[in-house]
Amino acid sequence: MINELFFALPMISVLLGALTLMLLSHNKNISLKNFNFIAVFFLLIAFVSEYLILGHNTQDYLFEAIFKHTFILDDFATIFDLMFTLGAILTLLVNSDYFKSRSYFSGEYFSLILFSVLGMMMLSHAHELLTVFIALEIASLSIYTLVGYHKNKRVSSEAMMKYMVLGSMTGAFFMLGTALIYAAVGSTTLENISLYVNATPIEDMTLLVVGGSFLMVTIMFKIGAVPFHSWIIDVYHGAPYPITMFMASTFKIAIFAIALRLYIVNFAQINHFWTEMLQAITILTLLGGSWLAISQNIVKRMLAGSSIVHSGYLLIGISSIGLGSELAAPAIMFYLMAYFLSAVGSFGILSFIASQSKKQMTYEDFKGFANRRPYMALMMSIFMLSLAGFPSTIGFLGKFYIFTSAIESGQLILAGLGIMTAFISVYYYFKLIAMMYFYPTDHEQKKLPIDISTIIIAIMALFVIWGGIGTSLIPFIPGADGFIETAKIAINSLK
Amino acid sequence: MENILTDIIFLPLIIAIVLGVARASLPLLRAGAIFSSLATLALTLFLTYDFNPHQGLQFLVNAPWIQNAGITYNIGVDYLSLVVLLLITTIMPLLYLYMLKENRKGYWYNMMLLQTGVTGAVLSLDLILFYLFWETMLLPIFIMIGKYGSGMQQYNSMKIVLMTILGSMSMLFSILYIGYIYFETTGIWSFALSDLSTLIFEAKTSIWLTAGFLLAFAIKIPLVGFHTWMAPAYGSAPTPAVVIMSAIMAKLGVYGIWRFGFSLFGSTLHFYEPIIIVLALIGLIYYAIVAITETNLRRMFAYSSGSHLSLIALGIFLSNIYAWGGSLYFIATHAIASAGMFMVIGLTYHRFRTLNISELGGIASQMPIFTFFFAFFALSIAGLPGTGGFVGELLIIIGAFKASFWVGVFTATTMLSAMVYIFWMLQRTLFGKANNETIVSDLNLKEILMLVPLVILLLLTGIMPSLFIPFIEPGLLGALK
Repeated sequence: MINELFFALPMISVLLGALTLMLLSHNKNISLKNFNFIAVFFLLIAFVSEYLILGHNTQDYLFEAIFKHTFILDDFATIFDLMFTLGAILTLLVNSDYFKSRSYFSGEYFSLILFSVLGMMMLSHAHELLTVFIALEIASLSIYTLVGYHKNKRVSSEAMMKYMVLGSMTGAFFMLGTALIYAAVGSTTLENISLYVNATPIEDMTLLVVGGSFLMVTIMFKIGAVPFHSWIIDVYHGAPYPITMFMASTFKIAIFAIALRLYIVNFAQINHFWTEMLQAITILTLLGGSWLAISQNIVKRMLAGSSIVHSGYLLIGISSIGLGSELAAPAIMFYLMAYFLSAVGSFGILSFIASQSKKQMTYEDFKGFANRRPYMALMMSIFMLSLAGFPSTIGFLGKFYIFTSAIESGQLILAGLGIMTAFISVYYYFKLIAMMYFYPTDHEQKKLPIDISTIIIAIMALFVIWGGIGTSLIPFIPGADGFIETAKIAINSLK
Repeated sequence: MENILTDIIFLPLIIAIVLGVARASLPLLRAGAIFSSLATLALTLFLTYDFNPHQGLQFLVNAPWIQNAGITYNIGVDYLSLVVLLLITTIMPLLYLYMLKENRKGYWYNMMLLQTGVTGAVLSLDLILFYLFWETMLLPIFIMIGKYGSGMQQYNSMKIVLMTILGSMSMLFSILYIGYIYFETTGIWSFALSDLSTLIFEAKTSIWLTAGFLLAFAIKIPLVGFHTWMAPAYGSAPTPAVVIMSAIMAKLGVYGIWRFGFSLFGSTLHFYEPIIIVLALIGLIYYAIVAITETNLRRMFAYSSGSHLSLIALGIFLSNIYAWGGSLYFIATHAIASAGMFMVIGLTYHRFRTLNISELGGIASQMPIFTFFFAFFALSIAGLPGTGGFVGELLIIIGAFKASFWVGVFTATTMLSAMVYIFWMLQRTLFGKANNETIVSDLNLKEILMLVPLVILLLLTGIMPSLFIPFIEPGLLGALK
């Protein structure tokens, strides 16, 4: 039992942290800085314990005596948990200036972030469809609230309404899918679903396939694949910067945790059913996302649009799995890590700048940024290059693995289209670099303040470079090889 | 750092990083950059001394890099890359001499990055490594044109980046596909050229794969039809960037065909031979005609450079010893001549603040020394006998006549047309009535110092080709077999 408590420690610690913050938030004497500190403290406990758990799972399920097979324990889930907690920690630390600069933040805010992390962690461990739904809703409801947190701001409230109404509707699809699967299988645990899928002849599985398709609708909505993308740009735009950063880097990855588990393990026998549908969605996502990203003038909206394109690359990988590519699953994991690092960095810099001004931050506002903050501009360029898939950054290797997996599974057209959209993305990412470097500024800042945000962003930038060119020579710091090894460990631990 | 080639590639980059982290002051930065260029020059000369012309690839390094994807750190040098390497390391110190008074720090950093990029691309023997350097060398150019350039520079730098990346993306697709084919046949991942060149492709696949590579190289050269970035980029870029673009980067397009095209798809290239030869011939003549009508000096020599690079590309696809030897010889001599020419054009701009031919004139009476250098480089670009360019062009023309009479006839027009625009340009800029009121001084010692080595090299290559030809001949003969 004690042993199992250790495995549950990450989740318990995040839950405790969330409750503590909720209770403390009434106290007006506690400053935001302290709330932030408390939240980071609990997240750090979770992060460290996950790091210790990684590779040392002795049990298959968490609290099997109580929850039966509801929560699975494997390295796959733990690696995702590491990313979630890291994402939350970085969001909180990088944005400490931002929290100070806006008056509407309070203690509940941090509590909600921790709750959403808890939801995501449950999601990555969930081994039962209703639990998946509950976890998804815990995470989503917290995020809905966070998006609309600035309640006096119109865009913010609009974004929240849009996200919540559409999100709840797709949540209903998930329930419907679960019901249909239950009707077919007679159980909602993924284990039984796997048994059913492996035992039943393919013609008799109509209900299950339809149910699975409904689940897919929810997943596609959450990652912003194109026919379901209409919320993404407005919501990313309306949300406060820290939340946009959190959603883009962390929440999106959480959805892939459950999508990959279902697709690789439980529906492995029948996943070719969805391949053509996925391919169509992928093409739409790549093209539509590129179109949206090109046509934006506000950098935050451009990054929102480009995050749709990145979902498209990940979908290339998913449809490659269905066609029997062995490289695809680790490629997706690697891409998620690469995207995580670059997205945290780029959104982090945006909110760092936003904490010092109240501007919208269009492309124009970045004119002369390189003269004002040369190091920030350099790091922003590194993140932009990584997102564009420029070689010598981790983003290039991510695309490298995804495209080779597409070629391996014979999807030459998708690989070609992916490379084509990568080319288009060069335009909108390089445009930002051009804005930063090519225009003079009137006021040059001589003193460059160094604080926790800058240090973290610098470390992210180093990781982005090191993940692209680094070898495994330095222990404990994953280079290009280390990241893909981790991805392989995660995929191999799936059962 | 156990290998001399690694030192040559990464020395400028490491110095740049160290200086950047230390936030070095301008004099220190300047000293560091000059040191890096001189050190690489010394190392390259040392390498040349040890180089054995009768042997293929030498000084090989083959270290694992990203093991999961079979990407290796594989570099080496042969007669071909040695020529380009020597060019890079000779031109860099002269460029630093040219921009000695430059006080914008970013300029120096970009130049050092650029040197690492081009050197790496020349020496790498692994396709992904090559792709890495091929893309990275674009970044400094992007910044230099956009930040330090003139005349719609932001637009033009975006244009060159997008067009070049379009090419390299198509190359990336081919690289990935070849890598996968190798994986399929052998079961291991590898992107090393020596492994991949053992592959034999299906005819149809091979044609597509070759197209991917050729698109990248055609844009870089640029062959006619892929050239729309050329004149704007050359026109906007600051002089050091133009020199590197015309003397080194354009040559890398040809080098890429030679190094990767021939060893990966030897036979498929013959399929493209007529297309490229026709494109090159059209380019040769079309660029020359545009150069005649061009009124801006830098744009004129951009087109002239395009014309001569088409000639080099033509020489490569003719595949006989004269044409190949001529191409290689012309790569070197044209690089030196165009480096000199663009530097002189830069000096002209410094003095007159204009490059419009109609606003110049009568320079000869004011600045005799300047006139000598200007005329010398312009004439050596036109292929004046006694300069290196003549030898290269002549060999290519002989090779063209050997291949086919009509190809030879069209190729020979390049010398004629070059004479037309060069002499007409000389007449309008150097002689005649001065259209510019500016009082100017003649070249000072520093400027003479940076141009003289190029003059000497051009004369040496022109008068005594026998000094250099034996050096490259064994390699060429070996490659032709």
